Amino acid sequence: MNPQGSTPNENDAAVSGPGAGILTLVVNGRTVQAMADPGATLAEVLRYGLGLTGTKIGCDRGACSACTVWLDGEVAASCMTLALDARGRQITTIEGLGDGATLHAVQRAFVEHDAMQCGFCTPGMVMSCAALVQRNPACTLDDVKAAVSGHLCRCGTYPNVFKATLAAAAQLRRSAADAEGRR
Amino acid sequence: MSAQKPPTKTQSVSYGIVGQSIDQVERSVPENEPPPLPANASLKVIGKPVDRLDAVQKVTGKARFTFDVQLPGMLFARRVVSSVAHARVVSVDTSEAEKHPGVRAVHVLNQPLLQHAQLRDEKAEAARYPTIRYFGQPIAGVAAESQRAADAAARLVEIVYEALPHATTLEEAMQEGAPLVFPGPTEQPSTAGGGGAPPGLPQRGNVRGPDTGQMFGLPRGDAAGAVRGADVVVDAEYRTQVQTHVPMEPHAMVADWREDSLTIYASTQFTTSVRDEAADMFELPKSKVRVISDFTGGGFGAKYGIGNFGLLAINLSRKAGAPVRMVLDRREEHVSSGNRPDSLQHLKLGATRDGRLTAIELESHGSGGVAAGAGVGFAHALMYPCANVSQQQYDVFTNAGPCAAFRAPGQVQGIFALEQSLDELAHQLGIDPIELRDRIDTGPTDDARARKVERQIGAEKIGWSARRAPNADGGAVKRGMGMAQSQWVSVIHPPTSCEVRITDDGSVEAFTSAQDVGTGTRTVLAQVVAEEFGLRADEVGAHIGDTRYPSGPPSGGSRVTGSLTPAARNAAYRAARELAGRLAPALEANADDIVFEGGRVGVRGAPATWMSFKDGVKKAGVTEISHRAVRQDDYEGYMMSLPQFAVGRHGIGGVQFAEIDVDTETGSVKVRRLVAVHDCGRPINPKLTESQIYGGVIQGLSYALYEERHLDPTSGIHLNANIDQYKIAGSREIPEIEVHILEQLGGQSSTDARGVAEPANVATAAAIANAFFNATGKRIRRLPLTPANVLDALRA
Amino acid sequence: MDSFEWVDATSVEHAVALLGSVSEPGGPIVAKAGGIDLVDLMKEGVVRPARVVNLRSIEGLDRIAFDEGRGLSIDALVTLAQIESSLEIQRRYRALADAARHAATPQVRNAATIGGNLLQRPRCWYLRNHYFHGEGVDAAAALARGEHQYHAIFDNAECALVHASTPATALVAYGAQVHLAGPGGRERTVPLAEFLRPPRFEQDRDTTIEAAEILTRVTVPPLPPGTRAAYHKQTERDSYDWPICDVAVVLEMKSDAIAAASIVLGWVAPTPRRASASEQLLIGKPLTEALAREAGARAVTGATPLPKNRFKVPILEAVVRRTLLAAAFGE
Repeated sequence: MNPQGSTPNENDAAVSGPGAGILTLVVNGRTVQAMADPGATLAEVLRYGLGLTGTKIGCDRGACSACTVWLDGEVAASCMTLALDARGRQITTIEGLGDGATLHAVQRAFVEHDAMQCGFCTPGMVMSCAALVQRNPACTLDDVKAAVSGHLCRCGTYPNVFKATLAAAAQLRRSAADAEGRR
Repeated sequence: MSAQKPPTKTQSVSYGIVGQSIDQVERSVPENEPPPLPANASLKVIGKPVDRLDAVQKVTGKARFTFDVQLPGMLFARRVVSSVAHARVVSVDTSEAEKHPGVRAVHVLNQPLLQHAQLRDEKAEAARYPTIRYFGQPIAGVAAESQRAADAAARLVEIVYEALPHATTLEEAMQEGAPLVFPGPTEQPSTAGGGGAPPGLPQRGNVRGPDTGQMFGLPRGDAAGAVRGADVVVDAEYRTQVQTHVPMEPHAMVADWREDSLTIYASTQFTTSVRDEAADMFELPKSKVRVISDFTGGGFGAKYGIGNFGLLAINLSRKAGAPVRMVLDRREEHVSSGNRPDSLQHLKLGATRDGRLTAIELESHGSGGVAAGAGVGFAHALMYPCANVSQQQYDVFTNAGPCAAFRAPGQVQGIFALEQSLDELAHQLGIDPIELRDRIDTGPTDDARARKVERQIGAEKIGWSARRAPNADGGAVKRGMGMAQSQWVSVIHPPTSCEVRITDDGSVEAFTSAQDVGTGTRTVLAQVVAEEFGLRADEVGAHIGDTRYPSGPPSGGSRVTGSLTPAARNAAYRAARELAGRLAPALEANADDIVFEGGRVGVRGAPATWMSFKDGVKKAGVTEISHRAVRQDDYEGYMMSLPQFAVGRHGIGGVQFAEIDVDTETGSVKVRRLVAVHDCGRPINPKLTESQIYGGVIQGLSYALYEERHLDPTSGIHLNANIDQYKIAGSREIPEIEVHILEQLGGQSSTDARGVAEPANVATAAAIANAFFNATGKRIRRLPLTPANVLDALRA
Repeated sequence: MDSFEWVDATSVEHAVALLGSVSEPGGPIVAKAGGIDLVDLMKEGVVRPARVVNLRSIEGLDRIAFDEGRGLSIDALVTLAQIESSLEIQRRYRALADAARHAATPQVRNAATIGGNLLQRPRCWYLRNHYFHGEGVDAAAALARGEHQYHAIFDNAECALVHASTPATALVAYGAQVHLAGPGGRERTVPLAEFLRPPRFEQDRDTTIEAAEILTRVTVPPLPPGTRAAYHKQTERDSYDWPICDVAVVLEMKSDAIAAASIVLGWVAPTPRRASASEQLLIGKPLTEALAREAGARAVTGATPLPKNRFKVPILEAVVRRTLLAAAFGE
């Protein structure tokens, strides 16, 4: 961090800001750098510093979860996460889900079950649903509702989001059972 | 419009509800109209649940919304808005803002605001700056090199106000002597395709009207007299609340003013309206204005034209000589970009003892803030045959943000009252509510026919026969079932045209300027075109959202599918016939015998001649085939038609059933199940249609139970201009929703598709309210059904 | 949101020292843990710090420990998600686990810390709008004559603001204490019920924490065997919502009879309110439907609702009754 020359404090710790400095983050498995000041949110740095516009901002107050990314595999509201708080953490965005060319099971299921309409809330939903099925492939409808309980969708995709997520979970269970069977 | 009618032919088309009864009827159709399509079961792509073509882009975050557009050298903008509810603006000092580091342009609005009502006599209020009429009204805009700089600079703009008294509630503003929102009578132009109020109506204080329904042939008969003479009268007052649109993508624009052109990226539901309004406001030829909209993150009626924020963005871009990104934050979105007005409706129904409707008498008031457009729909005039109908619908101005068309404008409020009063009528007469509808829903239109079938299906699916008498449960939690019907109009955008192009390598593409707000424009377009060529939908390139493409319809009035698909089909049909004509000599056959199927083309009955579609294009020696077709009029003509707006003779129906639980101690209402049975002409893609219906039902449920705008009376501030305290339905509010879609062939166009987005939204609140009565024995005539309102209703 | 200076605290002492230093002109020095409350207040322009002291960088302040003798200890940086998923808390302090589980959204719970949660300012839409902090604006008066649906029905004559923390309702019912570290190595322990003070528009904090103090831990005494508890948060919307009211009940049992009762009401008074009259009614008796009903009635006796929040009274009464029954007869 670049000290900005304010009043030295007792322990002489480094002060960042208020101006921008170079911020190093690990995003989708790669170490990247962007200019950011302490007031920048992770969502802003992802979208404007790193050009990763897949993560949307619906309310900028943590109330709609459109901005959901993973921090160390756990869902986080990137609009309420200050960018500096993402240092040293594994950040996964919608761009990092799936495997380059292959879609994640949840993404495939969303496509098949039409779990989207306008699509603005979709990346965030996908992130939460993907985290759920990976954490708990035996998830129930209530588990899915709980996992997306922070997500707001004005177009009303919820019923298909539920179906898609349960289908993806079932598919993951089948794949795991197949893999198990082949051992 | 040509003076002569184009040549026609007679065509025998299917008419009726598939699975119920289908007749063949004769229609007079344009001579070059394609043959009629059979029912969906016989088609390959149309009527099939094809995956949305842009689904992968949406689930991977690659879909580029206007929110995401980032151009080289792009500046970020922020509006300066009023911090007072009602005031004259004495001065606006932008000097400090202009000096702020990073600021490249500042613009102050100096013309009457778009979307607001306009004074008939401008001189009644001659002033340098527009009068402030609501807290949060836009005044100016700042463009800077970063959002942070723009936000900081916006705070530096100094405004001196001369405060005036304000009125924030409908009831307050209606009073004699209430603070006047406008100093004189007003007009409300439509917002480039949405909203608006009838011209020339009288205005007293803040109350403008009445609109007596002349457009629908009202008044009919003698409603007041018929009420007095009726066997049974239901006389009730209803109160509904203001609802804000809450699209997840806020209003957004990137304006790129260049020396010789203006390019606008817009989150819009009508690209043409953005182009036309920008051209008009900035006195540019339309040929120099281009609007691009790849994906719109929800509109619901609020995203027409450029808006005041767009006026600012374009001005800022011109001044700065750089692209300017202007996106409303969530507060601004709630406050200034539109809402569904509230309503206070006094509705009287008169009927005979055996359940014939003899009178409908309505007086309604509603407030759209500083805009007019608070009507409560046309169901009273059009839905149920009734000899005596009168209405007096009034707008009441308040110092609050302007209304805008919102998914079935007016009709949602009107049906909430009408369908509840009918439910009460049924109860008073001792008739089942479905039986009552059977007796009164007897109009000659397709929607009435559809609703009859929908009532039967819905009743069976919800288990209507198990419905009990009101207030059957003894404990605190009471369960009940209710139903309500909807009627919407089939709206057509007559200028809609579509181009279909075949290129030498066998590529097939279709072009329209129409946008996609989430209904799946690309997909239905591709399906209709693919059907003509025997291709899969994903083999057709569907290009949308650019005003350089042929003029497409607005995503409003549920009119895209009904307007676009016939034009697209006709263009595809002609392109296919031309291709067939050019292939015929090479196959030594008649063009009429060349067919397309399963990705291949050949002579009917001669398997040896068949080849892949691509090879067929090459064999035909095609470099490019291009056809453009315009949406032909409905075969039976229109009920009403203007150059940019036509209404079909038949409406769109829908019947919904709700089962709810009411906790009478806590006032908590939970919807357990909802059955929605709808018609939409020929469903082009049942998967997408079902999604639309889910969307409408969930918005209706959300409106019925949770949404409420809170304005602070002292300041006029919209207090819950966020989305944790302005509550919309989330995952745990979603009941079991069962959707059934009729395939109803109306024999009106070459695809017979109609819309469904708005119909799906209309009846839900009424169905829930009727279920409330069944559960508790008490009527709730006030929305939303929050615990506070529920407990009041239970104690009444 | 404007920018600010940021310092990563390396220890509690370091954080305390940073908070105690003289603030630069142009704004206060504030502490940040999960940042959920602070970032919201900053985005609304209600708080404009010159410097933010990051507590998340302090190691060892994120543990949950349980000991039969000393009870539960939750470090300040423990997140609501960790409280929700702690098997120990679920088993032994279920009202707290339930409160954490129903707070906010999964995303927010992953970031929000218990320290920040207790220190958060009210969610009042007057308080969270910078307009009402302006010169000459009487926010309390605007609230009183305006939209106070979600505000206090008790002790609301001067100001109807209520504390926002729902875990606080459960923690007060369990008799929790907060531990604070101050300058010069000073440590003090305060019962949570006394730590929270009536919120006011004029204050910049609604607890007795001092400018240079850090909340380091929350402790909860061990419970006698057979203690039963329940928590209920009554909302308008289930997905996530601020409460109409929330109630936590902790019953110490002596065979079938209630030996001691703690009934705490949240979001209905400036701070979590003990329903003392209801508690006294129960002592020495087994809970019955009738007794629970009367306890509910007593809990709302003396309520002085405002015109727009009267609806809270019957709801609170019902929720107290139901939560009592859930505590006594639930699993």
